[in-house]
Amino acid sequence: MEKFLTVDADKCTGCRLCEQVCSVMHEGVSNPAKSRIQVVKWEQEGVYIPVICKQCEDAPCMNVCPVRAISRDPDFGFLKVDQEVCIGCRSCVGICPFGAMGYNPTTRQVFKCDLCGGDPQCVRFCEVNAVEFVPVDRVSAQKKRRGAARQSAAERQATALG
Amino acid sequence: MAEQQKVSSSESLRSTRTFGKVRCHNPSCMGRLSPSPGSKEISCPTCGMTYRLFWVTPELPRIRGPVWDVNRKLAQDTLAKKTGAPDGDSQ
Amino acid sequence: MALDRKIAYINLSTREVEIKPIPLEMRKKFIGGRGMDAYLLYNHAPEGCDPLGPENPLIVSGGLLTATCASATARTHVMAKSPLTGLLGSCNMGGFFAPELAWAGFHHLVITGKADKPVYLWIHNGDIEIRDAEYLWGKNSTDTQWAIRNELDDQEVKSMVIGQAGENLVTYACVMTGIKNAGGRTGMGCVMGSKNLKAVAVRGTMDVKIAHPKDALEHNKKFIDQITSAKVNQIQGALGTPFIWGATNCWGGVRTRNFQYNQMEYADEIEPEAIDDIATETMGPHHMTGCFGCQVHCRAQYKIQSGLYAGKYDEGPEYTSLGAFGAEPDCKSAETVLTGNHLVNQYGVDNLEIGSMIAWAMELYELGILTQKETEGIDLRFGNDEALLQMVHNICTRTGWLGNVLADGGIPAAEKIGKNSFDYLIQVKGMNNLHSDERATPGLALNIATASRGSDHLRSRPAIDLYHLPEPVLRKIYGSPVPYDGPLSSEHTEYIGKPWQVFWQENVYMAVDCLGICKYHTVFLGATLPNFEDWPEVIYYNTGLEFTPKEIWDAAERCNNLERLFNLREGLTRNDPKKGDTLNHRYFDEPCRRGAPDVIGKKIDRDKFNVMIDEFYDHHGWDKEGVPTSETLQRLGLENEPTRLL
Repeated sequence: MEKFLTVDADKCTGCRLCEQVCSVMHEGVSNPAKSRIQVVKWEQEGVYIPVICKQCEDAPCMNVCPVRAISRDPDFGFLKVDQEVCIGCRSCVGICPFGAMGYNPTTRQVFKCDLCGGDPQCVRFCEVNAVEFVPVDRVSAQKKRRGAARQSAAERQATALG
Repeated sequence: MAEQQKVSSSESLRSTRTFGKVRCHNPSCMGRLSPSPGSKEISCPTCGMTYRLFWVTPELPRIRGPVWDVNRKLAQDTLAKKTGAPDGDSQ
Repeated sequence: MALDRKIAYINLSTREVEIKPIPLEMRKKFIGGRGMDAYLLYNHAPEGCDPLGPENPLIVSGGLLTATCASATARTHVMAKSPLTGLLGSCNMGGFFAPELAWAGFHHLVITGKADKPVYLWIHNGDIEIRDAEYLWGKNSTDTQWAIRNELDDQEVKSMVIGQAGENLVTYACVMTGIKNAGGRTGMGCVMGSKNLKAVAVRGTMDVKIAHPKDALEHNKKFIDQITSAKVNQIQGALGTPFIWGATNCWGGVRTRNFQYNQMEYADEIEPEAIDDIATETMGPHHMTGCFGCQVHCRAQYKIQSGLYAGKYDEGPEYTSLGAFGAEPDCKSAETVLTGNHLVNQYGVDNLEIGSMIAWAMELYELGILTQKETEGIDLRFGNDEALLQMVHNICTRTGWLGNVLADGGIPAAEKIGKNSFDYLIQVKGMNNLHSDERATPGLALNIATASRGSDHLRSRPAIDLYHLPEPVLRKIYGSPVPYDGPLSSEHTEYIGKPWQVFWQENVYMAVDCLGICKYHTVFLGATLPNFEDWPEVIYYNTGLEFTPKEIWDAAERCNNLERLFNLREGLTRNDPKKGDTLNHRYFDEPCRRGAPDVIGKKIDRDKFNVMIDEFYDHHGWDKEGVPTSETLQRLGLENEPTRLL
């Protein structure tokens, strides 16, 4: 079953452990600049939003790549960069609407989230479940349930007040 | 490096943990109190101190604070007994 | 590699910068962080130097494991000679500064000299630049940080800054990073201010290579599970440190009205759960935040709901803010606590010290030692919320006679106020105590009396003493990595065995401070959290360095002795009421009057206390005056200090 990474920014504590484990997992170094996931912060308001590749269906990075280095994994459905083919032109970095493509100045090639080949470390380490890995058919089902719960709570309150 | 299977003392101590209970906040009592799930108050059968409860999760109760009037009286009686004089603490 | 992070010497007078590697043998001996800082301070601070003079070195560091794949290694340590105590100045804070410093290539900065006008340091991937900060002078701690980010056009820049309190040389001014991370104790912000150094801004994108990345990652998972499975950390993650205040107040261990009581009664409005409700209402159900790489997320986020500062965002309040703006001045309003917490974060001042100072002044006012003449019309009685917050402003801006006097710190203020005001100052070595009451807990009293930076709980407090753990469990914890077969007691009101516990805790806390780990990740509040036996693996997987538990213990002991040597050199003597290992007379003379039945009537026994000190010195290999013997120095390889190897 194909799975998605979903982000619930409300739950994020802003600790950036995901960045740490991601860079260790993929590069063997601790360096958030080389992490596939990054937490964007507005510290003055206490808002933290983890940003990560959405594995788009009609993916601009894949479409723009002049040497077809980016392709979809047939088993897990994520987009991957073939490091043998990548020429480091950074076209994908420029076009990604989420800023989810990274450029590694050491290897002079681009990198992106590959879902750790099916066991995303950001999800494994996030204790508050701000990042989750869920089957495609459940993504909206979960959101529906949460939305409905809010609605029902509001209705109950309204009834009580009325 | 170090034998991986070896369990450190801090790890082995973890096995002694219990959930669903609180300990009486009277440090020399420390009686284990088992409040019924969701209850709001509990009295220590050993020392008589009485507490308001708060549930961090449905399995993890915590003492929120004393039931002030009960524990204050207990404190004043104890002080009077120990010093032989009533407490002037009335603010 | 974590081990290739460097040390930089920056002279603000000459604007010279020198960068050196840190030799491996120094790592083995002093590990890093606070321990290495102690070495640098002992070697670089001239004997008897003026804390506010250019020769006092300000040492900023991350720990050995900072920015590696080890959980909660975000602590920044800062050291210098303290303008508050004239002895060791040392503070430690969380946040994101130390890891960023490591990614920028550095573990230690030694800043000396004094800039002729306000400057800040800009450290970026191995480069260090001294930049103009005149436009930043006068700004509060957060505005300064955002202004630097805008100037450098990089929102990822992390800065360690001072607020107005540091500029105004309040002797207990903090260094700050982020919203509320404060290196609060001993006035390191004041030292920064004296150097005209407004901020240290860092940004790094350099790799910290992990020695064994796969093992480090797996081990980190195991470590985090161990840490987050502790009940104490689960509650921390829901309520933050106020939970400790709430629990302590419940049995009567909270200092109230300066030192008149040991419990704040009817404190419902500022109980941790009440603060949690406010944070939930203003920020939503997920309102906790954490430091870099930490899964405990122990700090609440909130908006002030009412009053002059309504709508302001802040983080906390911590235990100390509940003490400073709650129990100590006997103010029971959540608005006051949250506002006070916001003010100290913005001004950059130690909430613990300022709360104690104001509570002390309040007691003096009620005793008639201070009058309306000195307070310039402020009705400084206990429970006056408005007067409390006004005094925070006055101290941080040095406004009015009393504000100015209190900004100098407890002992100088007592000299200026005169009469018997000193008798009411709850200090050790010139620094005020945490808002806790140790009269019923001799082990904890020994801790604050002997802590190297003055009255302080984060140097050696055997907090688990209050859990009445069975003796075999205590033996398991306190009998490793060096064997101990002396007495141990599960009874917290006892005196026996406590010196060993305090000695052991002193070494544990030094070790975590050297590694850069937070104290919630070791035996502080939870007995099941990692200690010496658990660290060799973490160190090895991340850095490749091999340590045994005993070697970590030895390094910690070595570093503690260096701090002791520094204090002795700067004038510490055992029984000096202002610079010694002593307690305020009220600990011995006034019994506890509130709280749990067994706490009532308790006070510290003078003779037994002195025996504890003797024993404590003995465990260290110190003589009766608390001076390390030559055998001890030789055992630890300190006989030739200062050696100036770094």
